[in-house]
Amino acid sequence: MRRKVNFLLRKVGDLNILVPIGQEVLDLNAVITLNETGAYLWELLEEERSAEELAIALSEEFDVDIAQARIDVENFLKELRETGLVED
Amino acid sequence: MCYINNPPKDSAQLKSELSAEQWILLGKEAVDNGMLFLLLTGGEPLLHPGFFQILEGLKPLGILLILFTNGTLITKEVAKRIAQSPPYRIEITLYGATEKTYEAVTRIPGSYAQCLAGIEALLEQRLPLLLKTTITRQNVGELEAMRQLAHSFGVPFIGSWLLTERRDGAPSEVKDCRLSARECVMLEATDQISATEWQEAVLRGEKNSEENFYCLAGKSTFVITPSGEMNICIDLPFPSAKPLEIGFKSAWEEVQKFVDTAPPLSPICQACEDRIFCPRCPAWSYLENGTLTEPVPYLCEIAKERRKIYAP
Repeated sequence: MRRKVNFLLRKVGDLNILVPIGQEVLDLNAVITLNETGAYLWELLEEERSAEELAIALSEEFDVDIAQARIDVENFLKELRETGLVED
Repeated sequence: MCYINNPPKDSAQLKSELSAEQWILLGKEAVDNGMLFLLLTGGEPLLHPGFFQILEGLKPLGILLILFTNGTLITKEVAKRIAQSPPYRIEITLYGATEKTYEAVTRIPGSYAQCLAGIEALLEQRLPLLLKTTITRQNVGELEAMRQLAHSFGVPFIGSWLLTERRDGAPSEVKDCRLSARECVMLEATDQISATEWQEAVLRGEKNSEENFYCLAGKSTFVITPSGEMNICIDLPFPSAKPLEIGFKSAWEEVQKFVDTAPPLSPICQACEDRIFCPRCPAWSYLENGTLTEPVPYLCEIAKERRKIYAP
């Protein structure tokens, strides 16, 4: 899967904010903030990635065990799918 | 209908306004300095000959863009094009719920029908819309009907009754248009949310800010005028910084400095026991008596009326 193109990740102060820049505003009229790990995964999703690839990258970057990373990635991807921010 | 005093194609007015390219350049610099929200307002923003160039140039920058318009220039084609670069929110001002009242305020025949057509065209495109009104003596009798009109369109509605003097200092009829302080406060009390907020503020023993500038102006917000001057807020023409000449960052620093070094509240306001009920700010003082600090008698009356209701 990969992220949809019409969202821009902006760093404003300490916040990572996803701003819809296309017609997605019509379906998702909201501001989404990402924590540090969410912003990291979002950047990786610029290219096609599997959940396993994301979990490995997360585990290495943030020094968490791979089992925990898999759970975190699944939860994150579930939220992204529910809000229509990624495409398979 | 703010452009009523200038014809839409007034060449002198157009010449004094920034070009689309200049607005986009300022937008980019503002984003580089952390701007997230941007309000396009006027006058009437759709009168700018480069309106779509501006909208389409700003959207990809990752700005949450809000558009204030009177809606009268929004045809089906205009709405379709706006929907290609949809703002985060659009707000249209209603001046009445009937043609007679609406056009008594705007003085433009046909403007009521144009406004309704604009609302319908935006909703057809599923654009996020809010309707609002500025309550005056002319339209207060239609407040409930305006609320119903908004609900019939399925959109939220808000009303505001604090009418200020003209920003350019020219004579105005504002004192004839305003509701009396008593009328304002009685009307406000019919809104359960406002009434509850005042009751809770009294129960909490809330104190007003000691700061003269107690809002976000000059702290996280600024205004850029049509001719490109950066000011504290839309009602205060200071410090007239020139971001296109000195850069956005330096202009923003001038604005912050103006607020940081502003004079304190007048001793009269500091000692006033009704101050927690008072909406006075430096902009109100400036528009009503040409200072940044002194009391505004109309707002003093409002504060007294609020006290009578919420802390008798």
